[in-house]
Amino acid sequence: MAGKVVAMSKKKASRGGSQRFSGNGAAAATTKWVGQPIRRKEENRLVSGKGIFVDDEKMPGMLHIRFVRSSYAHAKITRIDVSKAEKFPGVVCTLTGAEIKRQVQPFIEIGPGGAQKIADYPLAADKVVFQGEPVAAVVAETRLAAEDAAELVEVDYRPLPPVVTAEDALKDESILHPAMGTNQKTFKQAAHVVRIGRLHFHRFSSTPLECNVILATWDPRSGDIEYHCNNTFPSFASQFLAPALGVRIDQIHMKSFDIGGGFGIKITSYPYMAVCALASRKAGGRAVKWVETRIEHMQASAHGNERTFLDTRVALDKTGVILAIDSKHVDDCGAFPRYEPLGCVIWAQVLPATYRVKNVRIDMHQVVTNKCPVGPNRGYSRMQHLWFMERVIDICGQALGIPADEMRRRNYIRKNEMPYKTPNGCVYDSGDYASMLAMAKKLVGWDEWKKKQAAARKEGRWIGLGIGSTLDSGTNNFGQARIINPDAPFSGQSKVGIVKLDIYGEVVVSMGSVPQGQGHETTAAQVVADALNITPALVNVRPGFDTAHNAYTGHTGTYASQFAVTGLTAIHGAAMKLRKELSRLAAWKLQAKEQDLEFGVGGQGPEVRVKGRQKAINYWALANLVNVNNAGMPESLWDITLNCRHVFHANFQIPDVKRKYGNLTLTYAAQVHAAVVEVDRETFQPKILTYACVDDCGKAVNPLIVEGQVHGAAAHGIGAALLEDCAYDADGNLLTATFSDYTPITAMNIPDLMYGHMESPSPFTLNGAKGMGEGGAAPVHTICAALQDALYPSGVIIDDSHNTGDSLFRAVQKAESGGYAGMVRVEHRRASR
Amino acid sequence: MYAAPFSYHRAASLQEAVKLLQELGEEARVIAGGQSLIPLMKMRMARPAALIDINFISGLSDIQTSKGELRIGATVRHADLENSSAGTTIPIVHDCAAGIADVQVRNQGTIGGSLAEADPSGDWGTALLALESSVICAGPDGQRTVPLEDFIKDAYTTVLAHNEVVTAIQVKIPPKHSGGAHLAFKRSAPVYPTASASVQLTMEDHHMCKDARIVLGCVGLTAIRAKEAEKALQGKALEEKNVRAAADAARAAAEPQSDMRGSADYKRLLVGTLVKRAIGIAARRARGESVPAGHEYAGR
Repeated sequence: MAGKVVAMSKKKASRGGSQRFSGNGAAAATTKWVGQPIRRKEENRLVSGKGIFVDDEKMPGMLHIRFVRSSYAHAKITRIDVSKAEKFPGVVCTLTGAEIKRQVQPFIEIGPGGAQKIADYPLAADKVVFQGEPVAAVVAETRLAAEDAAELVEVDYRPLPPVVTAEDALKDESILHPAMGTNQKTFKQAAHVVRIGRLHFHRFSSTPLECNVILATWDPRSGDIEYHCNNTFPSFASQFLAPALGVRIDQIHMKSFDIGGGFGIKITSYPYMAVCALASRKAGGRAVKWVETRIEHMQASAHGNERTFLDTRVALDKTGVILAIDSKHVDDCGAFPRYEPLGCVIWAQVLPATYRVKNVRIDMHQVVTNKCPVGPNRGYSRMQHLWFMERVIDICGQALGIPADEMRRRNYIRKNEMPYKTPNGCVYDSGDYASMLAMAKKLVGWDEWKKKQAAARKEGRWIGLGIGSTLDSGTNNFGQARIINPDAPFSGQSKVGIVKLDIYGEVVVSMGSVPQGQGHETTAAQVVADALNITPALVNVRPGFDTAHNAYTGHTGTYASQFAVTGLTAIHGAAMKLRKELSRLAAWKLQAKEQDLEFGVGGQGPEVRVKGRQKAINYWALANLVNVNNAGMPESLWDITLNCRHVFHANFQIPDVKRKYGNLTLTYAAQVHAAVVEVDRETFQPKILTYACVDDCGKAVNPLIVEGQVHGAAAHGIGAALLEDCAYDADGNLLTATFSDYTPITAMNIPDLMYGHMESPSPFTLNGAKGMGEGGAAPVHTICAALQDALYPSGVIIDDSHNTGDSLFRAVQKAESGGYAGMVRVEHRRASR
Repeated sequence: MYAAPFSYHRAASLQEAVKLLQELGEEARVIAGGQSLIPLMKMRMARPAALIDINFISGLSDIQTSKGELRIGATVRHADLENSSAGTTIPIVHDCAAGIADVQVRNQGTIGGSLAEADPSGDWGTALLALESSVICAGPDGQRTVPLEDFIKDAYTTVLAHNEVVTAIQVKIPPKHSGGAHLAFKRSAPVYPTASASVQLTMEDHHMCKDARIVLGCVGLTAIRAKEAEKALQGKALEEKNVRAAADAARAAAEPQSDMRGSADYKRLLVGTLVKRAIGIAARRARGESVPAGHEYAGR
């Protein structure tokens, strides 16, 4: 029932932006296949059971590993005894934290100062800091024996007091304090100042169908470590693992084939990868496999960041335009920073959200607590901040009596202001948020619902209309890490693509990405088909990732909404290099001028031919000339390899670390969602009556894949808003370690989604595409906005991102007893402007 | 995840199942659909030494109607009932069967297993208590028939002796002018409800309620017959005042506990509302209307 609207916005010249897209100098090919909603190439393989997942892989003599985990959130380990486990039939060896500590270096920390002193080992040695933290491992001939023997490992703990909330953690010394500018003068000029009390963005996660799986072999002969695993950022993992394990990066062979979803959460599996390699070494070089169980995944893989927003002040002019925001944010990263503190800075990519506000001061803190460490989770770190900004917009709108749509219209960055430079130096490439909002409103029937809402209110019904505007900033500049740690030795962004002609003339593509369902094989084939004027069916894309293909840099992985930009531009660059080589070869063989040649598909497959004449040479013959039949080739053509590698570089600078200023991301896809939600007067259950997603990711390389990603992201966000919560009790026990308690969203919870698509091409990328797929948790903003609208007359302030019938029941009770008094305070001033 | 070691025995007949139970002792468990037992075993929260499989016993998965009684074999799957004519005859059976967990569980899980497990949140224990139901158990001394209200004694506890097996459930087909509904609120598909309510009404005429049975699920150690709520309707007109009194009495009868599904206060509120709505649907059905009802899910 998708009401599909496509609006095209014309590609406009870049105004004032420092970056323009520059390809590799070759003329852009036609876009016959790019932009087509073709079916995914990988579909048949996956739905007919031919996918190859890590757990499908078996190796001769393969062993199985089982972790022994802490049941405490915070405790001193007083004794570990593995002797009974080691005697269990089938057990090959065990590993303990104390043993591993002697063999490895602690993992690198990205954070500065005190964070550098955190000793993060893959198994806890002296002390555990979250429930589920691994303390020992048992390696056995079968998985069953490993599980049986793991129960025989005896561990004694002396419990320590746990810290489970950010506010408690803040009582100690906070770790990080990035802040920006000063707003005092602006607040003096404001017509209204709105003060907002504590807001809280809850902890939720991704629930990929396939949990973490690792198959590791540390070959005692070569000293090389082979990993077949589903880590989605293998270059990052290698750079953490090599120094910890004391090997060279080229000794780590990483490969993946098919991956059953990730959404960011699989980036942080490297501590387990280290243990599996050490286990393999101890077992004499036999392969060791670890298949994470769902409970392990829920307890101890990674959760999304939890964030608390305190002491917010908003200055507005008399028309409701926000002049300044001042707030203190506390991010709770769980027991170890690990991939953090990147999340502590990545939100700054979207500092003013979709709004023109010029003055923003965020006093950012990050704390550690006795909970599962956090990791990237679809919408990583930006969604928390965007949710905060959307709450600010709605709360201020309601406080001043300005409707939600009008409040946004007045504050949105305008289309004609693009590319737009944010107060902290980021450049929003393109976008037309007001038109997206108009489309979303049209899809849900906003104006009619407004009338129905007024009538329903008279009957005592609680119906609310909500808007969620969100940004999916993609292609990150790793230089942003330097805002946290000026000494961090990384910056920019890069990806590799390889396109080659094999011996019989087959077009073969190796991707520098780690796809987990995003359809990379299909979009890569579309781009190469256009570059060579052939069809996607003639392009053979190797599934998965393999360091042996040599298509990687230190940034290689699939994260940060970027493949459509970085991966495809790299592949396009490689295809254009190949085209040039084919053209030179064909010109020699056909005795023609290069400019007289054209590419296409002839009777004998893909070919290069002389325009208007019957002279052509197919790819088989061209590959033959280089690979098996090269006697007589002129020396001027000896540089031709037909194996073309291209590295994409984004035009980034290192941010100004002192001012915390700079361009942190290349593209900004946007989503505007609108929903109508009714809160049942008797059960307090929120029910979504209608829901629309409007998406703008610039030029859609494959609109079918884009729509699928939007649906998936919307489901994830609706689940987060209404169902999914990583809840801990005061002792640090995870209360939602199974799906029965965590309740990930199912088809029964998802409303019919209406979908609208707009295209504001990016001036900074090939074809105007932008990365997308994270969706920025738009439904969390949207549903909170609708609930706020429904319950505002009852005095409720929606102050948490997670809302259930139960929590709304308690919120209405709280409102009735005056519990929200002082939560929002409005100060009207005699405006000086 | 792997279960702790156990031995597996496939029973060819009820007699053999009973004999195996006697021989293998207290550590043996009967397995039918396995939708509760197997997850518990793989998490090693249950460690039976032996499993006795009753899935292959013939005649245990029949649904029969005779002499005003519906007889449901112990290994009848939830999905079988969802799609059977029994669900049309007794709508409460369809409401219940169609919303248990998800499709996979409904295809595999059995009604006998559900009752024998006696989970306080199990749907069948609630829905069937709104009807006149009894459980047929087979043991070394032959068969005995136990009324459902006596069968489940406490959370996860029934009157079944260790060497007994549930063989069938007998349900008296409600009279004409009787209608029922089973309503449950679930957060997502695979989980137990937060609260559920089953109501069976027999009407005197269009407005007067002759008899009422009201049962609350998930708000106590077993399903709760809300007898005060029933009294609020019996022999009375189905008007708003009486329905509200029944809902209030149901709330008072609930003994909920706080957990991840909801706080005790919220469950108490919810169960009363479900009772109120179930009364409305049951009355319409008693009057011959066809009304869809069953499980509701967060969000839609």
